[in-house]
Amino acid sequence: MLPEIAEVALRSVAISGAATLLALSWSLPLAYYVAERSSKTIATISEALVGVPTTLIGLLLYFILRNEGPLGFLQLLYTPYAIVVGEAILVTPLLVAVTYRVLANAIATYGELALSLGASRSQAMELAFTTSLPSLAAAAIMAFSRAVGEIGVALIVGGNIRGYTRTMTTAIALEVAKGEFWTALELGLILVSLTVVVSLAVRLVKGLWEL
Amino acid sequence: MSGIRLEGVWFRYGKGQWVLRDVNAEMGEAGITAVVGPNGAGKTTLLKIASIIYRPVRGRVMAFGTDPWVLGERERLFLRREIVYVHEKPILLRGTVERNVMFGLEIRGINKRRAAEVIRALASELGIAELLNHDVKHLSAGQGVLVSIARALAVNPRILVLDEPFAHLDYRRRGKLLGLLEKLRDEGKGLIVSTHDTHLIMRIADKVILVDYEGVREGSLSLLDQFS
Amino acid sequence: MRPLYLALTFIIAALAILAAAYAAGLFGGSELRVRISTTTSLYATGLLDYLADKYEGEHPGVAIDFLPVGSGQALQLAADGEVCAVFVHAPQLEIRYIRDGVLEDHRIIAYNYFIIVGPPDDPAGVRDAANATEAFRRIYEAGEAGRAVFISRGDNSGTNVKELSIWKAAGLDPSGRPWYKEVGKGMADTLVMADEMRAYTLSDIGTYLKLKKDGVLKNIELLYASSTELINIYSAYLVTSCMGAERAQAQAFIEFVYSHQDLIGRYGVNKYGQPLFYPAEGREEELARIWESIAGAGG
Repeated sequence: MLPEIAEVALRSVAISGAATLLALSWSLPLAYYVAERSSKTIATISEALVGVPTTLIGLLLYFILRNEGPLGFLQLLYTPYAIVVGEAILVTPLLVAVTYRVLANAIATYGELALSLGASRSQAMELAFTTSLPSLAAAAIMAFSRAVGEIGVALIVGGNIRGYTRTMTTAIALEVAKGEFWTALELGLILVSLTVVVSLAVRLVKGLWEL
Repeated sequence: MSGIRLEGVWFRYGKGQWVLRDVNAEMGEAGITAVVGPNGAGKTTLLKIASIIYRPVRGRVMAFGTDPWVLGERERLFLRREIVYVHEKPILLRGTVERNVMFGLEIRGINKRRAAEVIRALASELGIAELLNHDVKHLSAGQGVLVSIARALAVNPRILVLDEPFAHLDYRRRGKLLGLLEKLRDEGKGLIVSTHDTHLIMRIADKVILVDYEGVREGSLSLLDQFS
Repeated sequence: MRPLYLALTFIIAALAILAAAYAAGLFGGSELRVRISTTTSLYATGLLDYLADKYEGEHPGVAIDFLPVGSGQALQLAADGEVCAVFVHAPQLEIRYIRDGVLEDHRIIAYNYFIIVGPPDDPAGVRDAANATEAFRRIYEAGEAGRAVFISRGDNSGTNVKELSIWKAAGLDPSGRPWYKEVGKGMADTLVMADEMRAYTLSDIGTYLKLKKDGVLKNIELLYASSTELINIYSAYLVTSCMGAERAQAQAFIEFVYSHQDLIGRYGVNKYGQPLFYPAEGREEELARIWESIAGAGG
């Protein structure tokens, strides 16, 4: 099997990547809704929640997923899937807050253009999205970065189980607790490099798609 | 009725000042309707209402004898497709000129090969045939205007609404455009053109709508004498 | 493109990534997972992973999952039914959960000593104390006189619980005193802080030896050890509410650990020159008595 560091790194990318995609699935439609209706309330709440402590989300999710919690029967606590859900919730405000402005601008110009040429509402929406793609990709990268670098959710609902729910960040915390400060630092640098690599990869894919 | 009629229309953006107050006007019936007036008085707003893009806050707009805003989405869409509004500052999509001109046809699901033929003919008429596979990034302002007009004409609307089309055109292109507008009028299209260059429009307008801070007035060419 | 299709595309992509990760073995496999909660300091020594690896080698298809948290949380997880077994070292807390019927099948598997560490010049005179209680008394006096600082983990961990019980035995209450710092940190962080501040603190032997060997601790030394008051007893329990195949494996694992105490006794000797743990074997009765007296004193 892979050396443990590689395994943990891949696991972090898989978990946070899945979380970001999951969050995009509901955040983009929501952001579009906010942009179309200029809903200041949702926008303001979103912006305020961008910085919510990860530990808080972890705790809330813990109460929901534990055996006595309302979703305890799902037995998701201390599995990687709980981390995916938690991180998806974590990055939603960030995605909505950043993309709704982009979409609002796109709707005002390209949306109106589409309408003028007789497009239906969903065609206008499609155009707004495709023209906003660069900014949406950037927002997705930011969300991934926040997810992969957080520890509160991963630790509390994941449990830092070796070979199962240990992520880069919880591994770093463990090394610190063990007093292995240099190892922790190395892991931290690997984590940052990983985020940069993913960011570059997304830009590459975006560039190819535009050709 | 083959054109657009505004009946008692009031409009404002959000909860701000009223931009249009109790406007009654008819435009777009066969012929060229010139919409003139100082900048900021509401010409663009009027045009967008006529193009079924903005909805009147009070009053109603009638297009070809029907109020589009009481219809369902689908029927309103069909009505809207007969009226194409062209922005003063061209909004071009990333890609080639051809892609842009094709856009309206794409929306209507028209077969690409057929569309390409229509576009080639149209492009020659407007004098932009050589630009078809150029990237829009490299166009001048004037060329951009022509591309957006070509895009509008590609879908063959009953009424064409042009917002300040002459603003970025040089002398030669203006002449060409005027010629094109007259040709379209002769073919039976309704044309609504806004401009603040009254001398230009005087040469071809059949009817004038004056939009200024006091209100909206409709009349014949003689109205222009008052304005200038 | 309707919002529904957009949403579905992303959800499918997310599921695809998770499926790929599972296939790549990043999320374990189809093994039976046995959850055991334990303390961070015990887990950090690496002993548990070492024993689990050996056990899993003999029992393919079983995965022993350790949740390293604080002592308090480890026991609470048992009460919540989230884990099947517990490895802890805080008798005063353990007894409450035994009484409440949360834990059963108590086995003492190892012991070692907490140690008192502090600045080499030892302003409080801890080295000459007759026992741990007296050592703490001396620290208190030195603190009041402005000559010493004590750092407490303040986090309900096994070490913290032991520390508090010694203050109690000495009839002293240091909380709120300016020389008594409650930090809410793990053992390694606490030792580093004590090193920075040239302060006294109570530590487990494993973390101290490791940091000392790595050259991280330059300003503090081991000043007092090996008295009965400082004994640190490691116990394993089954959680009553755990059932079925998981329980059977948890039981088997504890049995395995219990019968391989030689492994425990040799762990760390190569690396640190001294063992981190002493096997309970041969001293079970004595340790059980000590356990009861510690549990009784606190509980």
